[in-house]
Amino acid sequence: MPKIFIDNTSYEVKAGKNVLEACLTLGFDLPYFCWHPAMGSVGACRQCAVKVYKDENDTSGKIIMSCMEGVRDGMHLSIDDKAAKAFREQVIEWLMTNHPHDCPVCDEGGSCHLQDMTVMTGHDYRRYDYKKRTYVNQYLGPFIHHEMNRCIQCYRCVRFYKDYAGGKDLNVFAAHNHVYFGREKDGTLESPFSGNLAEVCPTGVFTDKTLRQHYTRKWDLTSAPSVCQHCSVGCNTIAGERYGGLRNIVNRYNAEVNGYFLCDRGRFGYEFVNSENRITKPQVMHQAVDENALMHHLETVLTNHSLIGIGSPRASMESNFALLDLVGKENFFCGVYNEEMMLERRITDILDSGKIPVASLKQIEDADAVVILGEDIWNTAPMMALAVRQSVMKTGGREATEKTPMPEWHELAVKELQQNTKGFMVNVTVTETSLDEIASLNINAAPDDIARLGFAIANHIHPSLELKNFEEAVLAKAKTIADELLKCSNPVIITGTSCYNDPVLRAAFDIAAALKAAGKAPAIAFVVPECNSMGLAMMRGHAFDTAVRRVNREPNVTAVILEQDLYRNLPAGIVDEFLSKCRNIIVLDSLNNATTEKAHVLIPASTFAEGDGTLISYEGRAQRYYQVYVPDNKYIRESWKWLSRMKMIISGKANGHDPHHDSVISSLETALRQFAGISAAAPSSGFSIHGEQIPREPHRYSGRTAMLANRNVSEPKPVADGDSPLSFTMEGYQGTPPSSAIPFFWKPGWNSPQAVNKYQQEIGGDLIGGNPGVRLFVKSSGNMPEFFKDYPEHFRERQNKWLLLPQSHVFGSDELSVYSAGIAGRSPEPYMGLSPVDAKMLDVTEGSQVTIKSEKEEYSFPVKIVESLRNGIVLVSKGLPGTQGMSWGNWVELAK
Amino acid sequence: MQHLTNRAKPVDRKPMTALEKLYLWNIAKGMWITLKHIFKRKATINFPEQRREFSPVFRGLQVLNRDAEGRENCTACGLCAVACPAEAITMEAAERQPGEEHLYREEKYAAKYEINMLRCIFCGLCEEACPKDAVYLSETFAPSNYQRKGFIYGKEDLLIPHPKLEPEAYQQALGTRAKRQEKASSN
Repeated sequence: MPKIFIDNTSYEVKAGKNVLEACLTLGFDLPYFCWHPAMGSVGACRQCAVKVYKDENDTSGKIIMSCMEGVRDGMHLSIDDKAAKAFREQVIEWLMTNHPHDCPVCDEGGSCHLQDMTVMTGHDYRRYDYKKRTYVNQYLGPFIHHEMNRCIQCYRCVRFYKDYAGGKDLNVFAAHNHVYFGREKDGTLESPFSGNLAEVCPTGVFTDKTLRQHYTRKWDLTSAPSVCQHCSVGCNTIAGERYGGLRNIVNRYNAEVNGYFLCDRGRFGYEFVNSENRITKPQVMHQAVDENALMHHLETVLTNHSLIGIGSPRASMESNFALLDLVGKENFFCGVYNEEMMLERRITDILDSGKIPVASLKQIEDADAVVILGEDIWNTAPMMALAVRQSVMKTGGREATEKTPMPEWHELAVKELQQNTKGFMVNVTVTETSLDEIASLNINAAPDDIARLGFAIANHIHPSLELKNFEEAVLAKAKTIADELLKCSNPVIITGTSCYNDPVLRAAFDIAAALKAAGKAPAIAFVVPECNSMGLAMMRGHAFDTAVRRVNREPNVTAVILEQDLYRNLPAGIVDEFLSKCRNIIVLDSLNNATTEKAHVLIPASTFAEGDGTLISYEGRAQRYYQVYVPDNKYIRESWKWLSRMKMIISGKANGHDPHHDSVISSLETALRQFAGISAAAPSSGFSIHGEQIPREPHRYSGRTAMLANRNVSEPKPVADGDSPLSFTMEGYQGTPPSSAIPFFWKPGWNSPQAVNKYQQEIGGDLIGGNPGVRLFVKSSGNMPEFFKDYPEHFRERQNKWLLLPQSHVFGSDELSVYSAGIAGRSPEPYMGLSPVDAKMLDVTEGSQVTIKSEKEEYSFPVKIVESLRNGIVLVSKGLPGTQGMSWGNWVELAK
Repeated sequence: MQHLTNRAKPVDRKPMTALEKLYLWNIAKGMWITLKHIFKRKATINFPEQRREFSPVFRGLQVLNRDAEGRENCTACGLCAVACPAEAITMEAAERQPGEEHLYREEKYAAKYEINMLRCIFCGLCEEACPKDAVYLSETFAPSNYQRKGFIYGKEDLLIPHPKLEPEAYQQALGTRAKRQEKASSN
């Protein structure tokens, strides 16, 4: 480890880092703007100047930009040097000459990196007395507010948007002292990662437009660590509340998962919590009732009937387990159709065997080759697509710097060397995707053919099966891919359930297994549909079909349906049949939907913001989300609390109290062995530091004695939280909390999200105390994995039948996020994709309506001709209005 | 015993004469002092008909200020609330819509602004924190009230009268502040 001397004190630092990173890691406060830990250095802002000396005898030294200088052993530098300090102060004075100083109206105020750095450098008086340059702002869509006057030209926005996230419609224009960051003309920022601009921008040029609708300063938010609910990746978020409404979602750093960024679906999809459509009161036969009446009614409904439970892929582990506990293992079903269930079971079986490790997003970023089989991750797991992009770019950078050594953080230089060199990435999907542009090889094929290609690749790497009836072209492609993969050391194979095709999953496993047999360190990632699909699959309940058979057989059934709209994921005919056969239907959910309409007893459940829970992400990572605030409506409670109450009613032990989170999670651990260790995902509710809880509110929280005074002048006692070590107040432990319970990032002098620097072991590295979450799939050593040998026949078109497959959309395919107006506005109109040949055969053109006929349902959509689509497949937008309950993966008829 | 000061005055213990025992001179002397006060200025005033002028540093009820055209100065930045040691201020920001430029001076305004006067300690830190000259402590104090909820002052209680629509009430609400401001600007 190199030793450097900062102001004559010696420190050990990590080699290969730049001086700025080293200083920040050591805890020094050194101002910076353009450098970003995820994006490296470009040396644009001149803010991080320090003085470097030749040796210990040099007294004059010279000023350098610390972000542009690598650490060297024996380096002498000074942060406190007078000239360096004066330089930094002068730079910020320049930057501030044109800054409008409009902090009172600026949304960034209070979490502004520019404010922090200005205070840090000591620039406190404005000497520039002339006119400031001004710009015309642009309309950038529903998510991002633009205020160009505040710009300090650090270039972070375009570096993130274009270079990091691959966006095309944000750029820098003009020159000199009037450069402009924006779009060519007004319009929505197209990238699904645009929301990160609000955090990347060190000042208030790009701010969260949804927060603006109900603006609250960072210091006034009651926040809690949360986990994103809108896909299976499980990004860590911080949710903030004030006046009983959820105000915003910001990133919560987790080095292994989402790092510094979030996708727009996750960041802006929170409005469903504040929706008008929330279920607010318990209902019995569509009549609102109070708690006593509800409990009384539940007693009659729950006893003397046989109970079945329908678990939900979007409810927490606690809620699903409480349901299982209520109805018993053999009566626990998943709200998932048999086909999908089998896929998820296959995934859990593969991961459970532990032969091939699951790739975290960080591992995907660090992978030197990526193979995507049949999953449009850009739309089903956007952050994973961003990670794949980093893998491709970083691998390209590494290749380019092999001959000309250049540290990784030296971004511009690496890019210059790299030019268009990219890492190896194969994107094998049903149709074209947004990741195609960075892929080394794009293949569009039908699911079975994707699987066959996968098996062929695996066979090339490690001959394990006899390939029959394989086309030469497929074998040739497989050989090229296999040869490339054999050059890599830690490739990642990504696949998922979107193809509704089991062989694809097996093929992905075979590739990984073959690579392992070839001495590589492969990892695999399976994208599943919802935020807790993996958790539900791990519970190994029966599929919904079994539940339907059960109610057909048994007349006296009370069904408890947990947090899901059955009509969304299952064909309406089957759900109707199921519900009509149930004697009693108890539904717990947070929002009204088609299933809650049919409920005999409807119980309001909390969303992620009003309750505690644990979700299991695609990588089997159990992550805890905490209640953000106590809703005014006392009926809104976690489903697991309601379900435990029901259990008490049945057992006759009702005492009017809710169980605590700790007890639920520990019974889950004992009851289901596959979840052993899940309680380590978060500290228990009794956890405290020096006898203090962790405050959800910053110490500057304002208005405590006035906020509720309009309702009641007497101040109520703060609500105690029996479920977590967090308190609903501003009092408590002010130091660094455990990494899984960080309600907000703040350190003295660091009000902006960049305060995360102070929570990391090293800059851009793991959080102090390790990254949040527990991975439940344990790696097993031992034998080599067994290969799957049964590859499918190749895809054959059928007469007058089409294979129905989903086309996911970042905006629109998710059930809850579309309650946000911005996301609803960006979701496309549902359409049906057909190959040109099929369209011609059906004699339809772009836009003409075509009806899909499955067993019982009929759907009609306008046609979109998709060039890249194979014949015999019909693609339909997933999850959009009018596409509920489609039987994906089945053969359907089409009619004009 | 040694005296601590040199101001010790020996008491005259000479017995009083008969004339002195009548106290006539002393009574006259006292009456003269009383008589003298009849012609002096009174120390009290007839409140509430008469009101005293406040000291220039007096801190009374908060006022939400308007500019000369009657637009609200407050941009709901939240600095008064965060400065308040009693945590007695709360507000909700809203965005100015096109067409509301005559109502609010800047692009944001306080849709709700409430002070809990039972909690307020009239320290003036809100006024000090305000970057927009939007809140200041006036020369009136909170009147008594029959109910506690009457002390939760909202925007309608705090806003200064409109300078153009109600110029007299505006001047009155401004109090000596106008003069002080003039003085400050002339300096």
